[in-house]
Amino acid sequence: MRQPTPHPDANPGFQIAPMIDVVFVIMLFFMVMAGTVKVEHELKTTLPGNAETAKETEMPDEINIGISESGEVTLNDDPVGSVQDKELKNLYTQMVVMKKAAEQAKTKLLITVQAEETARYERVINVLDILALAEVSNVTFAVADTE
Amino acid sequence: MAGGGGGAEGEPEFQVAPMIDVLLVLLIFFMSITSSQVLKVDKNIKLPVASHGVKRDDKATAGLINISWDATTGQARYKLDDRELDANDKDGIAKELAARKGTNEKYRLLIRADRECHAKYISKALEWGAEAGIDNIAFSGLNHEE
Repeated sequence: MRQPTPHPDANPGFQIAPMIDVVFVIMLFFMVMAGTVKVEHELKTTLPGNAETAKETEMPDEINIGISESGEVTLNDDPVGSVQDKELKNLYTQMVVMKKAAEQAKTKLLITVQAEETARYERVINVLDILALAEVSNVTFAVADTE
Repeated sequence: MAGGGGGAEGEPEFQVAPMIDVLLVLLIFFMSITSSQVLKVDKNIKLPVASHGVKRDDKATAGLINISWDATTGQARYKLDDRELDANDKDGIAKELAARKGTNEKYRLLIRADRECHAKYISKALEWGAEAGIDNIAFSGLNHEE
């Protein structure tokens, strides 16, 4: 088949309409991607250490959150979250109450999260996430020796 | 890029040029937020969800310990950044972490572990940090479920 020869004076010029089409498609792609992007979050804790002080320091009440192998959560040995309970609302409300009480008494709230050796990491993060939600900052993590 | 006014008769015309300006700005905005937040995590590690944690601070120097979980053997595998670690060489790892920390008191240990990993393996990594004198620990998680 014979190809039509372009007219020597024909200038196609810059076509704005297809460019807008393409830009729209690219933008739509990035808009959709922006909603599904996974961002890394972090939960901060500190390891307990030794500090030498000249004056006597008042030790705050220590609160122990236990995580069993099956995923059951306890607060000072009282159950606050069953295995299926991912939201841990009971733990959250108790943490908020304890934090308020500590603020009123002008003491520090010191939390130790103690997991059993074979407790799943996901459950530990679950608990730490709830503590972050309750804005509890003095959190240490320990693993209970079951041997 | 934008230019030109309305028609002489006072009837405002549809202006393509300012629309392209706005479109390009939006495009650049969405491009920048998606590319800067792409997660660089070991593919073998399935992170748990920590929606209430703080966004990772990239500026703060941190030793990154990746802990993957082998469900068939029930064992964890450790990596310091991209280098495989021998979990039995506690002193060697602690020395390396201490050297990385140097005199930087703000140096922290970022633990990225698989959600199925057992707590005792996390504790091992914390021991290395304690041995190296690092007491700032951060646990890594995702903002939402995959």
